Amino acid sequence: MRGRESMFTRGFRALTGAVLITWLVLPLIPLGIWSFARGWYFPDLLPRNWSLRAWEYTLSDTAGVIECLWLTIGISLAATFLSIIVGVPAGRALGLYRFRGKELVELMILAPTIVPGIAVVLGIHSVFIALGLNNTVGGVIIVHLIPTLPYMVLVMSGIFANYDPSYEAQARSLGASALETFWYITVPAIMPGVIVGGLFAFLVSWSQYILTLLIGGGKVVTLPLLLFNFATSNRNDITGAIGMIYILPGILILLMTARHLSGRSSAVGGFGTI
Amino acid sequence: MKLLAKIAALAGSAALAPMAMADTADGEALKSMSWDEVVEMARGGEVNWFLWGGSDNINRYVTEFIGGILKDEYDITLNRVGLTDTVEAVNIVLGELESGVTDEGSVDMIWINGENFRTMKQGNMAYCGYMDVLPNNALVNWDNPAIANDFGVPVDGCEVPWSKAQFAFAYDTARTPNPPKSIGELIAWVKENPGAFTYPAPPDFNGSVFVRHVFYHAAGGVDRLLVPFDQALYDEVAAKTWQILNDMESDLWREGATYPTSINALAELFANSEVDLYFNYEPAGFGLNVENGIFPPTTSSYGLTDGTIGNTNYTIIPINSPHKAAALVLQNVLLSGEAQYHKARPDVWGTKPAIEVDRTSAEIQEKFGSIERHPSVVAPAELAKAALPELHSAWITAVEEGWIANVGQ
Repeated sequence: MRGRESMFTRGFRALTGAVLITWLVLPLIPLGIWSFARGWYFPDLLPRNWSLRAWEYTLSDTAGVIECLWLTIGISLAATFLSIIVGVPAGRALGLYRFRGKELVELMILAPTIVPGIAVVLGIHSVFIALGLNNTVGGVIIVHLIPTLPYMVLVMSGIFANYDPSYEAQARSLGASALETFWYITVPAIMPGVIVGGLFAFLVSWSQYILTLLIGGGKVVTLPLLLFNFATSNRNDITGAIGMIYILPGILILLMTARHLSGRSSAVGGFGTI
Repeated sequence: MKLLAKIAALAGSAALAPMAMADTADGEALKSMSWDEVVEMARGGEVNWFLWGGSDNINRYVTEFIGGILKDEYDITLNRVGLTDTVEAVNIVLGELESGVTDEGSVDMIWINGENFRTMKQGNMAYCGYMDVLPNNALVNWDNPAIANDFGVPVDGCEVPWSKAQFAFAYDTARTPNPPKSIGELIAWVKENPGAFTYPAPPDFNGSVFVRHVFYHAAGGVDRLLVPFDQALYDEVAAKTWQILNDMESDLWREGATYPTSINALAELFANSEVDLYFNYEPAGFGLNVENGIFPPTTSSYGLTDGTIGNTNYTIIPINSPHKAAALVLQNVLLSGEAQYHKARPDVWGTKPAIEVDRTSAEIQEKFGSIERHPSVVAPAELAKAALPELHSAWITAVEEGWIANVGQ
């Protein structure tokens, strides 16, 4: 009975895996083909004329894609790191403790995912100008925390809701220091959540457009800014070429963290692994 | 909360304190200088130009050709900032001005016209009245109402013309041997060729200008409409316009159940042979689309016998630009015969000059004369024979809103 069940689960898992890969990979194929196409008209299964023009432009100094790539990676990594620093304690407080006004705090943290960014971005802009943070890379990193934090905090509060702090008390009673307790007990227990939350934070930061444009004031140019220029103007060839570069970090990170995203992970199921 | 407000106030006052003095933010002082003095002030500086960034040809022209001239001749660094929509740059300036950033803004120049220009002019967000400083201003014919007015709004020295554009239709000669040559013919043609035509839903820029052509047709000519907004006249013409467009709806692409939401969606429908006609305010785009492999090489284009609407696009310097001297040098370079000629070359961009070619040197005039038009692009002179003016923006807004309420619903 148990064997059959696990076979079923395994089969189901393989199937969902296949569906996910199809979803992720299939849309990328036309994008890749487009980047080498010189025109691709309706009944043709493949483009009639091939060209390296889109790549030539994309890799040129004029386009500035490669320069932007490093900057975008740096900004997204920094935003992810800060999200973890803020999100872990916040998630712990929300997941473990009951306190007055908890619902209000939760609502405030979730607000950026509910309120459309375009409605608040002009207000954020004037706040950042007042703080002297506009037109700086630091300002862009900080403004990215607004959309990334909800994901990080939500994942972490899920993790901590199923976390038993008495393990920490046990370690302390056996003589571990506060730092040792954190390092040997807390970190391993919450690691899956940090990885999943961090992945969300990275990807959300990675795809920011209007916040980066306004707060960066044109001085901080990230990949989505270049990509959307062409995506909205029907240039499938250049969009394809920039798009291929744009998805690389996401795919790399997805591959590196894939095992934490499977059904076995506590971060997805919401059960502690201890 | 209180603490946060305090910190914000503190940081705010620090930001407002005179830090590194913006070099040439004082536009009034520049107006009284000689051109050589302006150039000297601009030398070694930078200029941040915000413009729509969705075309590699335009980006290359701006960064490589114009940027090259600025670097080599003036030691000015041109920073091209690509936009998806011009209003984004206007919003940056607006946000800065509202926050009291009056002389160290991020935007030194914007490629602009129409509604965005009206916003900037009415909001006193533009640096104005410096035209006489620019030597190449002599090449601009300010007596031409199509130059001196931007969508019915007087320019009043607040922006410098860059290019001219005029609406035209495109079709594939291999598929459609006899396209309709007037709005009247088009209405009949759509009836005979169900499913072969559609237009982007206003407020898409190009969809909106198509609807205005029908509006002009319904009015029996544009002349009566060239007045400030008149509700009674609008009601009369609008009723006829919606009648025509609603009658047409069942013969449109997908029986008019839905309209493309952007001009790019229409371009894609035309590229995929789903519809037989395409149109654009910028006919140079037809040639670029053929060169970029989006449209078939058998694409051709034409204007209407009853005329098509034309406009001019401009560059504007925001009032809080910290690099006004460099922006003036950039505008002067853009107006030069050499730069306007280069821009007009079909292999570069192919857009119409905003200057009077016969005011340029004999050498430049000869170069202009030698330009070979892209075979897919209608001759500008041909188009110009029947050019129609744009209406005041109040009319345009009313027509767009009327379409959404009466046709789009």
